[in-house]
Amino acid sequence: MNALVQTWRVACYEWFDALRSRRALVVLLLYLAAAVCNMHWSINLLHKLESELATALQLPATEQAGVVSTALWKSKPFQRMMKRMTQNDLVLRDITGKHPVELIYAWFAFFYTPLLVVLVAGNRIAEEIGSGSVRYVIFRTSRASWSIGKFIGQVFMIGLALILSGASAYAVAKIRLAGSGTPDLFLNMVQWSLRAWVYSIPYLGLAMGLSHLTRSSSKATVMGILAITACFVLSILIRHFTTDTGWRAYLPHLGQLLPDGHKMLLWRNAPAPLIAGSATLITLGFCYLFTGYAFFRTRDV
Amino acid sequence: MDYAIESTELVKRYGARRALDGLTLAVPRYAVLGLIGPNGAGKTTWMMSIAGLLHLHGGTINLLGCGPFDPAVHSGRITLLPQDSELPLESRPIDLLTHYGLLQRLTRHEAKRTAIEMLREVHLEDRLTATVRSLSHGMRKRVMIAQCFIGSPELVLLDEPLSGLDPREAAHMRAFLTRRRGRQTLVISSHNLNDIEAMCDRVAFIEKGRTVRNTTLDEIIGTSSMLLYRVTAEPSDLSAIGAAVPGATLSFNAATGTVCCRYDPNRDSPAQINARVLPPLLAQCGVIDISRGDSLEAAYLRE
Repeated sequence: MNALVQTWRVACYEWFDALRSRRALVVLLLYLAAAVCNMHWSINLLHKLESELATALQLPATEQAGVVSTALWKSKPFQRMMKRMTQNDLVLRDITGKHPVELIYAWFAFFYTPLLVVLVAGNRIAEEIGSGSVRYVIFRTSRASWSIGKFIGQVFMIGLALILSGASAYAVAKIRLAGSGTPDLFLNMVQWSLRAWVYSIPYLGLAMGLSHLTRSSSKATVMGILAITACFVLSILIRHFTTDTGWRAYLPHLGQLLPDGHKMLLWRNAPAPLIAGSATLITLGFCYLFTGYAFFRTRDV
Repeated sequence: MDYAIESTELVKRYGARRALDGLTLAVPRYAVLGLIGPNGAGKTTWMMSIAGLLHLHGGTINLLGCGPFDPAVHSGRITLLPQDSELPLESRPIDLLTHYGLLQRLTRHEAKRTAIEMLREVHLEDRLTATVRSLSHGMRKRVMIAQCFIGSPELVLLDEPLSGLDPREAAHMRAFLTRRRGRQTLVISSHNLNDIEAMCDRVAFIEKGRTVRNTTLDEIIGTSSMLLYRVTAEPSDLSAIGAAVPGATLSFNAATGTVCCRYDPNRDSPAQINARVLPPLLAQCGVIDISRGDSLEAAYLRE
């Protein structure tokens, strides 16, 4: 019980301190700006497509984007494109009815979250080991409480960033896109932020786990970026080389060790795959973290 | 005797080099122990091992009678001022010390009150909410000292606590640490032997990862059993002076220009010795200064 309280205290302070830290704040603002710009440009693109469609069909041009996008979204060519992108019929079925804004934001959040994680939290542990500030803490609490507390603090931080980016993307859509200012859409955007947040946890575990291995802050960031890149490359290679027979048939099992192996579960609507995917990704995050911690618990600080 | 620290046969290796080579050192409860030794002798390694920051290759440690360091048992009872360790630069002293207090299981109210009290004690009451980054080196050092005394721990380990402080703050911190005598067990590592002499009641000499000597300051510098007379010239007949103080031993040190009189404190008081030594000594030479015991520096260099 006491260990949990200590972990919670470290987590709260980590969050509080990260919020005040100028560097974390700058990265958060950049992420927020990227979410806003992504939404803005995506809506511009959507408007352009709609105008071209209107010209081709000899219809009057629309003033605001979004007037025909729902119909466009449900058209056969677009569905074929989406199928190629998702490579999953169940996911395709689930996302077909979604508002375009939701999908634009979800794509952005899922794509950039790993990068946000590395930039915000990738070096937090290495930085404190390197500067020696960890020495003021670990005679007051256990190394495990410190490591897990730091991790949870950063999970809060990423969560805040994603929810803010979701809200700001909604605000842009409300201003720029016809018929997108509904409370339902806002709630859906927050829901996508939460899904991206869960998706960020294994990457955070990976980056912070690696951060235990070095005293150099910059080395930890580089290691985090390399590890996340390796995850993406491995996922692509596994998808590419998987076959139905032979040893290659087992490759998807290897993919289960990577966050990407469970990503599509977070795009589903049904609670069962969502819960299973979330639980697996959170567990994966802690496993990555504990692998780094196993080294840290025996090292001198 | 009740010990705050009992460390026996400690071994710590860095590759082929042994930073601690069977170091055995016991610190009685409520003692203020000064750790003295050359660079690389193992003082910092010993302190870090005691606080659980380093993993040992051998030996046993018993802290406050509860075995080796375990944060679940010793959190809040032991604190450390580590050497060359930065505080988190973006933190504010008040938040940081409150956080440390909370980790030591103080209530939020107690933690905040103690944090303010300690920062006031180190003269940083006007910098409570400044970031650590904006503080000068000396100010940061004072925050580091303040964090050691949050929650009145039973054992405080201080590695070079006064280095980097200006003379006024150093004197203030010296007085502050001296006031803790008898209330907490302090272990102070310093290369400034005058500081150790002013603050400590016990001294341990460490060399090459081993304890060379661990005893009271009094025994080492002879405060209660030795009088030193700085003289203008070598006394011509030391035996004549010795005859005036039976049971005492007199010697002349030409390098320092002092006559040393070692006596039995159970038999004579310093006043009685002075009354007997001074008349024959003054008849032979001038006396510039009289002091009780040797300086720690001289005693250390003599070892």
